Amino acid sequence: MLKQEINELLTQTGPGTPMGDLFRQYWIPALLAEELPENDCPQIRVKLLSERMIAFRDSEGRYGLIDEFCAHRGVSLWFGRNEEGGLRCAYHGWKFDVTGQAIEVPSESENGNFCEHVKLTSYPLVKIGDVLWTHMGDPDKRPPLPEFEFAQVAPEQTYISKRWQECNWLQAFEGGIDSSHVSWLHAGGLKNDPLFKGSKGNEYNLADFKPFFEVAEAEGGLFVGARRNAEADSYYWRITPWVMPSFTMIAPRADHPVHGHWWIPIDDENCWAYSFDYHPTRALTPTEVENMKAGHGVHSENIPGTYRPAANKDNDYLMDRDAQRRGEYFSGIRGIAIQDSSLQESMGPIVNRSKERLVSADAGIIKARQKLRKAALALREEGVVPPGVDPQHHRVRSAAVVLPRDESFIESSRDALTAAPGKPHATV
Amino acid sequence: MTMRPVLLNSCATATTAAEARFRIDVPIEGRAGARVVALDDDAATIVRRLALQEWNGARFFTLVAGTGPGRNGVGDDPDEMPLHRTNGTDTRLADELMGADVAVMLATAGGGAAAAASAIGRACARRGIMTAGLVLGDRHEVGGVVVALRPYAQVLLVTADEQDVHEVLTALRA
Repeated sequence: MLKQEINELLTQTGPGTPMGDLFRQYWIPALLAEELPENDCPQIRVKLLSERMIAFRDSEGRYGLIDEFCAHRGVSLWFGRNEEGGLRCAYHGWKFDVTGQAIEVPSESENGNFCEHVKLTSYPLVKIGDVLWTHMGDPDKRPPLPEFEFAQVAPEQTYISKRWQECNWLQAFEGGIDSSHVSWLHAGGLKNDPLFKGSKGNEYNLADFKPFFEVAEAEGGLFVGARRNAEADSYYWRITPWVMPSFTMIAPRADHPVHGHWWIPIDDENCWAYSFDYHPTRALTPTEVENMKAGHGVHSENIPGTYRPAANKDNDYLMDRDAQRRGEYFSGIRGIAIQDSSLQESMGPIVNRSKERLVSADAGIIKARQKLRKAALALREEGVVPPGVDPQHHRVRSAAVVLPRDESFIESSRDALTAAPGKPHATV
Repeated sequence: MTMRPVLLNSCATATTAAEARFRIDVPIEGRAGARVVALDDDAATIVRRLALQEWNGARFFTLVAGTGPGRNGVGDDPDEMPLHRTNGTDTRLADELMGADVAVMLATAGGGAAAAASAIGRACARRGIMTAGLVLGDRHEVGGVVVALRPYAQVLLVTADEQDVHEVLTALRA
């Protein structure tokens, strides 16, 4: 249960809101690099944290993320021309560079300084891995660039996709630290999905539907450990790291690539789910990449040319009651990503948390909300830099381990939970 | 044959903000069965403070003073474990677990929590009552307490922030 005013605080991320200010402390994914594939390619509309912008890549390969609307009459620059080092408005020919600076105003004197005084709001756009990252906060307080392992490994070791999720970011993110739903909603996937199946861990998962949970503080957020019975003297632990504000990783299974998510608010009723897979020590196989592109694992099959899943609320997520009856998909929905999004979208655009009935197994969610709220208020009232801004906090991993029953999952897995180049991941 | 949903029954309609207005707005009944037990002296101070606040039926207890593991009445039968209510009156575990649906054990670094946690855990397991452990303190200092609680707490939250106890109980509608 959450009071309505706290629910509003956590779910609203527009300019000037406490949670919006919090998100603006971080480098966050703005686009996939594939969306701006070459110099002078078509610009695209981007909405993040309830701000509408245009992203483009100029003739020199520089990336820009600027106010969508021309400074002159407020028309959308989406109709403009991306050419010769800038984005030219289609209405009267005003031209802007990647920093939002006006560089040509045809109606004004060529020798005048009118341009110098016209600048659109802009944010940096930096390519790291296959992601274009932005920082929408105070440039004077811009942190060092992010160092998440999925974006740091060699290109052949990583794959990332994204999908539009039609609900508030918080209810989507909370699914990422809610390990107890896996044995139910994704039970079919553990048996059938080519990117999940075939691990010893799955046997432990499916043999024990009542996991025990431990939640522990981390410098950048939390570690949530879910333990199930393994052998007579050991537990099987699946450890999920959360780095604030909304990065999570899923514990690996066998030698499959390890996966995770970043949830980024588009506005208060929509978010992007970025879903990645990477292997820390080897290239992804062609079959693995093929399966990811086909929407297996944490990825979705999207409508071609878009990032909207092919199974979406307009077609009832292609509900298959026969498959549900057969137990192939517990909810009748195919694919782990859409199983999650269908249920999270069913909660409504912003779920009313004053009505929910949490149980103690939701301790990770309870603690995460508290950390978000405290960080947002500490930032607002005292200017405290929140956890997860420091790149040191990004160097985490998920882990799946079997430990003697009296061992602490944090202490015993400390090395496994720390990312380092070339180090194998801890998996079962 | 698979039936196609009629429009008003489809997800596209059902998930809109407009439709959210028609969700049944009757408050969900509060939990009446939370039991909160302090496992050591520092935890008892916190529990007494919490008990002064308004809750949704939660009951708060401390262990019997001057008793420790093996000597605190736990014995072989956890049901007989003596407890103090925060108003100073005495009770026993079995009586307090009647009608309970969650038992929250609160411990700090100073606690010798094992015997009491074992008794509460075993008594709750018999009755199918969920158990949760909240351990206050730095993770490096509370390792022993965490090990002691682990077998008996289906959820363990280790935190340095006392406010978390209030947050968890509030979230659980305790």
